[in-house]
Amino acid sequence: MNLNFHESFQRMVDESLAGTISAEKQQSLREHLSTCVPCQEYLSASNRVIAGLSGFSFEVNPALNTKVLAALRLQAQQVSSAQPRRLQLMRRRIVEYKVGAAFAVALLLSIVGSAFVYEVATLLLHFDTAQVRTDVLIFWLLPSFCATLCLLATPSEKRGIA
Amino acid sequence: MESDTERIALGLRQKDLAVLERLVEQYQYRLVRYLVSLLGRRDGVDDLVQETWLRVLERGESYDGRSRLEPWLFRVARNIALDAMRKQPMFSLDSNEEDVVRSSLASSEPSPYTLAARTQDAERLAHSLQALEPAFREALMLRFQEDLSLQEISAIVGAPVSTVASRIYRGLATLRPQFEGEPA
Repeated sequence: MNLNFHESFQRMVDESLAGTISAEKQQSLREHLSTCVPCQEYLSASNRVIAGLSGFSFEVNPALNTKVLAALRLQAQQVSSAQPRRLQLMRRRIVEYKVGAAFAVALLLSIVGSAFVYEVATLLLHFDTAQVRTDVLIFWLLPSFCATLCLLATPSEKRGIA
Repeated sequence: MESDTERIALGLRQKDLAVLERLVEQYQYRLVRYLVSLLGRRDGVDDLVQETWLRVLERGESYDGRSRLEPWLFRVARNIALDAMRKQPMFSLDSNEEDVVRSSLASSEPSPYTLAARTQDAERLAHSLQALEPAFREALMLRFQEDLSLQEISAIVGAPVSTVASRIYRGLATLRPQFEGEPA
């Protein structure tokens, strides 16, 4: 048997120990090992290395667990106490956005409504343009803006929306 | 039915301290052992362990519970350790991960392996293990001490499975001569 022949089986020993060997190779390695002394020695030395690696026992500071758990509790407390503040801030921001959106929507609807009324009054009914403009502004745009705003500000349950 | 890892993942997502306490009890020693094998020294490891658990509390939701906890936990510990090493003033920004770990070995203290050896074979290995390339030592320890698969080790160290396998073969090849030519 030449050196390369043994080397290929010794490579298989490494693969077997690392857990990368195929079932067929494992079988062929097993058969080879039953008769080959150098490869048996190779496997035995490898197993001694692995056994040696398991022969270390590190001392762990007995206070380490307590220290870690105390740090974890403190961190968890800080996180939970920071949460209500964050929620409050978030809620306030949402209210601000809602108010802004309500204003924008109310204004848009009133302008669109007023433009419609103005068009009807001047084009279809042939009313005086300047008079209609003032009337629309006073009697339509402002009240409709306020009414829309009130409607948007009313909680949905009071408007009958589930 | 909910598996053990799924329960852990849920506990970590909810930042459940009871779950974390159980994990600390269960994995503390292995975490210490892994960090020693990664850094090749014992001092400073306790701080890194604490930092690791705090990171677990902070970012526990990134563990999905579909695989074992160990690879995820060791990956967190590894990132913490490498970050800590990079913050050392002597560390150059051009250094890669290997250099980070190697630079931490320049210590005059006795090897943690010499102090931790409990068997004759371990005593014989202690010196060579300390002198071993950190990446080889890490791969050997994760495979044979932590009993992780090559895929799991690959996920921890962020290297291909073939690279991990090669590190294990080369690590074994470096340590094996200590026991060659001896009866089993």
